[in-house]
Amino acid sequence: MRSLLEQNLSWTNFAVFLAVGIATLLVVLVFVTYAIYFERKVIGWMQYRYGPNRVGPLGLLQTVADVLKLLMKEDTIPKKADRALFILAPGIAFVPAFAVLATFPFSRHLQLADLNIGLLYYVALSGITTIAIVLGGWASNNKYSLLGGMRSAAQMISYEVPLVISVVGVILLSGSLNLRKIVEAQGPDWFWQWNFVPQIVGFVVFLIAAVSELNRTPFDLPEAESELVAGYHVEYSGFRFAFFMLAEYVYVFAIAALTTILYLGGWHAPFPFLQFIPGVIWFALKFSFVVFFLFWLRATLPRVRVDQLMGFAWKVLLPLSLANIFVTAIVKELLR
Amino acid sequence: MKGIIKGLGVTLKSLTEKKVTYKYPDVPLKMPDRFRGIQHFEPDKCIVCNQCVRICPTECISLTGKKNPDPESKVKLVIDTYDINFEICILCDLCTEVCPTEAIVMTNNFELAVYSRDELFKDMRWLHANNTNIRKENTPATPKGGAKKDAG
Repeated sequence: MRSLLEQNLSWTNFAVFLAVGIATLLVVLVFVTYAIYFERKVIGWMQYRYGPNRVGPLGLLQTVADVLKLLMKEDTIPKKADRALFILAPGIAFVPAFAVLATFPFSRHLQLADLNIGLLYYVALSGITTIAIVLGGWASNNKYSLLGGMRSAAQMISYEVPLVISVVGVILLSGSLNLRKIVEAQGPDWFWQWNFVPQIVGFVVFLIAAVSELNRTPFDLPEAESELVAGYHVEYSGFRFAFFMLAEYVYVFAIAALTTILYLGGWHAPFPFLQFIPGVIWFALKFSFVVFFLFWLRATLPRVRVDQLMGFAWKVLLPLSLANIFVTAIVKELLR
Repeated sequence: MKGIIKGLGVTLKSLTEKKVTYKYPDVPLKMPDRFRGIQHFEPDKCIVCNQCVRICPTECISLTGKKNPDPESKVKLVIDTYDINFEICILCDLCTEVCPTEAIVMTNNFELAVYSRDELFKDMRWLHANNTNIRKENTPATPKGGAKKDAG
């Protein structure tokens, strides 16, 4: 892949890039389909009931049925809504979610673009979705939608700060923003060489900030289905609503992949005698565990109130992540 | 913080516990014995006293009787037609309470959705053939004629 990127852009190269892009999109879509299915199953089993189990064998086609339903719904645009922005907002929400997948190394050989500033690329692009949310809230011409959009934007912006600052600890340890080098610095042998051991505070702060970035329970006040009337996507129906949901689940994919890469050792095996299992399998196992943890949190915790949410970000997570940087830097200097 | 960890432990444990739902259309739903479903009618026991018609709150029962062809028996009238308009029957069970011979009793059958309203007009033949899941307890708890004795 790297060699292809360095050549001149000919028609064959373009065709290869297009095919790889479409293949990635298909993989991500299959992931989203089954992530939604497994979320409903896991949350159901944790609530003493079975999840969806009637549509298709074991309910596996449930998401397909839901997407078909959303496709067949009427596409309403409110009369006084800002048409161009209303139509653009779901697209702007989804495109950064998909574009950030370009820099992730899924295994030693599977990476689309080996950027030296891969981590910064992720952080920069994920901020664009915040614009899309405010855009959706504004363009709906609905005051509740606008309030929901503003609250959601406030939440996402304030949790990006501890997210990024907690990652600086990882950057200090690995000496690079390049995601591949960060994974390679986490040692090929033992699981205690992975970054979550020396950076345990950073790991916890990152996980909490990540859950909030994704607008998931316990921080899902912007889209609390039972409380606010769906916040900023209340006026969206049918496929546009599906786009916002798709963007959320692709972000789940991206954040889980990022957690695996930054803190859980990417494609490394936990013990040296297990290294015969290919790296992609280890990546998939760790990634699945992170995604399961997100579903587990959703099934367990109640929702946090919006003022408690903002207070938590600025008064607890930010000082903790700053302290983490200082302690990491001091320890690194002392050990030199 | 400790509460969050304990909560996570509870939900993880409940992954392995027995589920409380049942798979209803695939598995039959067992009702208690006193459940009031559609009625079952025994024409041989009916003495055409008309009490069920009189007490029905929605007037869904209609019947006709004819003279008993058997001159020896003490029963004067025999049932000729007996219809329950199931569209308005509210399954209140009053008709079975007043019936002196328990000719009309309730069953536990309630899955009776049909595609046409004509099939909801249950006649004597249908009510007689409906003889599964009949309720065992059909009379009320107080003995018959008790209130009258105290009042008189």
